[in-house]
Amino acid sequence: MRGSDYLVKRSAFAVITVFVAITINFFLFRVLPGDAVSNLARIPTATPELRHALRVQFGLDKSAWEQYWLYLGQLLHGNLGISFANQQPVRDNLVTALGNTVPMVAIGTVVAIVIGILTGVLSAVRRHTVADHVSTNLAIAFYAFPTQFLGMMLLILFAGLLPSAGMSDPFALGDVSFGSHLADLAKHMVLPAATLALTLYGENTLIVRSAMLETLGEDHVLTARAKGLSRRAIIRKHALRNAMLPTVTMIGLSLGSIVSGAILIEVIFSWPGIGSALYQAVLQRDYPMLQGGFLVITVTVILLNFVADLAYFRLDPRITS
Amino acid sequence: MTADLATAPLLEVAGLHVWFELPGGRELHAVQDVALTLEAGQRVGLVGESGSGKTTTALTIMGLLPSSAAAAGRVAVRGEDLMPGLENGFRSHRWTDIAMVFQGAMNAFNPVRTVGWQIAEPMIAHGTATGSAAKARVAELLELVGIPAAAATRYPHEFSGGMRQRAAIAMALACEPKILLADEPTTALDVMVQAQILDLLTRLCGDLGLALLLVTHDLGVVAQTCDDVAVMYAGEIVERGRIDALFHDAEHPYTRALFAATPDLYGDEPVASIPGSPPDLARPVVGCAYRPRCPLAFAPCVDVRPVLAPVSATTATPPGTQPLTEPLTEPSTEPARHLVACHAASSARAT
Repeated sequence: MRGSDYLVKRSAFAVITVFVAITINFFLFRVLPGDAVSNLARIPTATPELRHALRVQFGLDKSAWEQYWLYLGQLLHGNLGISFANQQPVRDNLVTALGNTVPMVAIGTVVAIVIGILTGVLSAVRRHTVADHVSTNLAIAFYAFPTQFLGMMLLILFAGLLPSAGMSDPFALGDVSFGSHLADLAKHMVLPAATLALTLYGENTLIVRSAMLETLGEDHVLTARAKGLSRRAIIRKHALRNAMLPTVTMIGLSLGSIVSGAILIEVIFSWPGIGSALYQAVLQRDYPMLQGGFLVITVTVILLNFVADLAYFRLDPRITS
Repeated sequence: MTADLATAPLLEVAGLHVWFELPGGRELHAVQDVALTLEAGQRVGLVGESGSGKTTTALTIMGLLPSSAAAAGRVAVRGEDLMPGLENGFRSHRWTDIAMVFQGAMNAFNPVRTVGWQIAEPMIAHGTATGSAAKARVAELLELVGIPAAAATRYPHEFSGGMRQRAAIAMALACEPKILLADEPTTALDVMVQAQILDLLTRLCGDLGLALLLVTHDLGVVAQTCDDVAVMYAGEIVERGRIDALFHDAEHPYTRALFAATPDLYGDEPVASIPGSPPDLARPVVGCAYRPRCPLAFAPCVDVRPVLAPVSATTATPPGTQPLTEPLTEPSTEPARHLVACHAASSARAT
């Protein structure tokens, strides 16, 4: 069966990629100058004995290979280690952070994809009209904006109207009903989610537009016209369907950049998500936290690409392996 | 067959001009005053080299010119002129009256839809068949062109080149058109498959009473398939007539050169190429477009454009040059079938 073959191959590829990423993550952070102990023991009374005790406690006295094997073994048991910084299990830290990040990033991404597809299709169908020029130039502008710049501009512009930092109002103690909590959360989410949506949508528009234009210029679209189909039917049944192929792949790939975008956005808007957590972990040389965070990011990117692959497989009958 | 004389021809193209807008405001006059008629069951070849306007002519008949093109003239199906309505005028006639088999059937199919779905699509769009009736019709059409009906659920990339071309023909027949335009239907196919496709087209025209306009650069293909030929050069039809008349007694030096450029399987005659290249149609052509390459060019060719005129019967077959070959069938309804646009041909006749 063409389906199961493809699935097995793609899954194996995904698993191997995850393993390679874990290994690189592990060694990458140990190449960085400085370590957690020198950071933690930066107090005047730190004796060599205290330093040594800390080293032993964190297992940093062992060789890199020994640490690597220990890490892999624990990882298989679902143990991501203890954060150097706050002494909590990394897994708990990550679950909390992810719980905060996922809704914000998901909303921003979905909005970016929906707007990107709508404006991209409109631009292609109304090519060379004013609407196309406006939409395409806007898309290029937003695509070109650095995330941090756009984030700060939105912050400056809307800081009075919308909450500009954190996930909730720390002084809203009176009314603690679920509804008002949700409304507060939504208000706080507008700016970071909008920043993410705006930085992503431009690229999506351009991808969808060029994919649509390429498809509309293909011979089979001429055949569809020759068959006497209406313009609407041609766009819906032929152009859109075929333009989805490159769109799915490219959007799947671009989703990987959400993570880096999320780090910048979360730092700017003090969003207590995985981006902020990683930023803190880098500053504190918190290896277990960094490794855990990067593991989550890696697996997310690989998983999204895997999903894009499956979608592509569903959409394109020519793919056999 | 007197009724045919009274009614309008099945397809009539008259005074057809097509211009392409070029960057910088210039215009390319791609098709110039082309006239053609097609009757049921008639097979006409439209021959010419690349850029001679033959494909553009076919696309204009379908109303499929790109937006950068402008067309003028008459394209009429059974007397109804389609040109004034443009997009809307043509759309209702597409596939139900005129269907087209495109060059390179690989790309004529949407790669992500099954062949059966694509054959059924125009039936559903035009309401000629739906649901299981459409499915049955797809099976019938596939069998008609020699493809097993079960192949309807397969995708274009699973077909061989020849099968795809057959499927393209089946698709063209979906709504029982009266006129079939075939644009280089056998290019990129090997000789055996090419012969099969041409046989199929000829058979279908006979069985279904289809009128066929075959656009090709290959004289061999025309000779194998068509009754009549129109030779295009630089956007104009320069000679028109029955295939045997043109084959034996071509009047236009370009037609003669084209035949001379075709390799002869049985003779030892060398293949003669035509020196020079066709004129740039972005500039107005004065006089005869073929003059710079013509060995017979003389004074009037420089500034007077030759028009299509009948070759008189005596000139076409001078007594004595041909043995007595009485036509077995009735002579065709049109009195002058052999037309040529050449000063040299008419002056030769005059002397």
